[in-house]
Amino acid sequence: MGVVQLDAYVLVLRGRDCLALIDGLSTNKVEGTCTTVFTTSVAKVIDMVDVIDKGDFIALVGHGPYKNTLIEHITQRILGQDVTIGDASSSNLVYLSTEEIEVPENVTVFNSFRGWVIVAPSTMNIEVTMTIADYDEYRVENMIPLQGKEITQNIHPLACGLGDLVHESKGCYIGQEILARMRSRGRQGKQLVRVSNPVVDATTIGKTHSLAIRRMK
Amino acid sequence: MDCNTCDSPTAVVINKPEVVEVDLTITNKAKEMLSSAFGDDMSHALLVGVLSGGCSGYMYDLQIVESTDQDCQEVDIDGFKVLVPNATSHLLDGIEIDYVDRLMGGGFKINNPNAESSCGCGESFG
Repeated sequence: MGVVQLDAYVLVLRGRDCLALIDGLSTNKVEGTCTTVFTTSVAKVIDMVDVIDKGDFIALVGHGPYKNTLIEHITQRILGQDVTIGDASSSNLVYLSTEEIEVPENVTVFNSFRGWVIVAPSTMNIEVTMTIADYDEYRVENMIPLQGKEITQNIHPLACGLGDLVHESKGCYIGQEILARMRSRGRQGKQLVRVSNPVVDATTIGKTHSLAIRRMK
Repeated sequence: MDCNTCDSPTAVVINKPEVVEVDLTITNKAKEMLSSAFGDDMSHALLVGVLSGGCSGYMYDLQIVESTDQDCQEVDIDGFKVLVPNATSHLLDGIEIDYVDRLMGGGFKINNPNAESSCGCGESFG
């Protein structure tokens, strides 16, 4: 397939309490580089973010339109911890590659469940080799949800294909009680499905199949 | 992403909440339990803090401490020294510290008029 540019933000968190703060506010066990989901107290998605541990700082890479909601969510909960936040979105561009590619030293690559997330200085030219339609086709084929399509702020992570990012035993985080109850009772309501075209309720339309979020039978 | 581009990102403003002079109460049952926990040494203090996280957004953090490096206000209630960090005072003004004596879910409980919601175990509020 190839490389596509994502509509993404890059936040830079510094301070000794960064990982603990993110861990306490999101669904996955955050001990270093990983992907996790911030949820509200009623378990609706705020954003799915890639957490990239760079040693002296942590980068959060999420979906551009959801940036301000996430910043507000996080900053409200910094209660004297050693955490500062910077917005490095304007100085970095984010790409996604469906295969591993060679990149210069000052480019960060993180292998996530949706492919290789590439964060590069905006002054650097990373060649885009895939259209959004190609990327959608790849996502449909591999059942990969995307923010703004399947992953929206009125759905919970279990319903939009992010169940693997909801840790079962990490302990409390915002929205945990509801997600744990859904799992233990087998009542997650809806799920991400890949179905043959034509699909009237598709969230992403592919050539032969589409993605949709449907109530479980 | 390299250090050249991340060393000077635009700072996101973290609004520090207003420090509130905390008014709190402790029920008689909680005082009894604190008495047995403190023993004769009343030089210790009960630190009532809030951590971010938990099912509803914030979690209570109760500790008996000799001292703390947090910026705290000290409240004296019938000889009990209670420390409340200024950073979380807005979330703790008006609380009642209670002790619930039951086999499941027993222990110190905080009744908080600032909480819009709380989780099942009572340790978290939002």
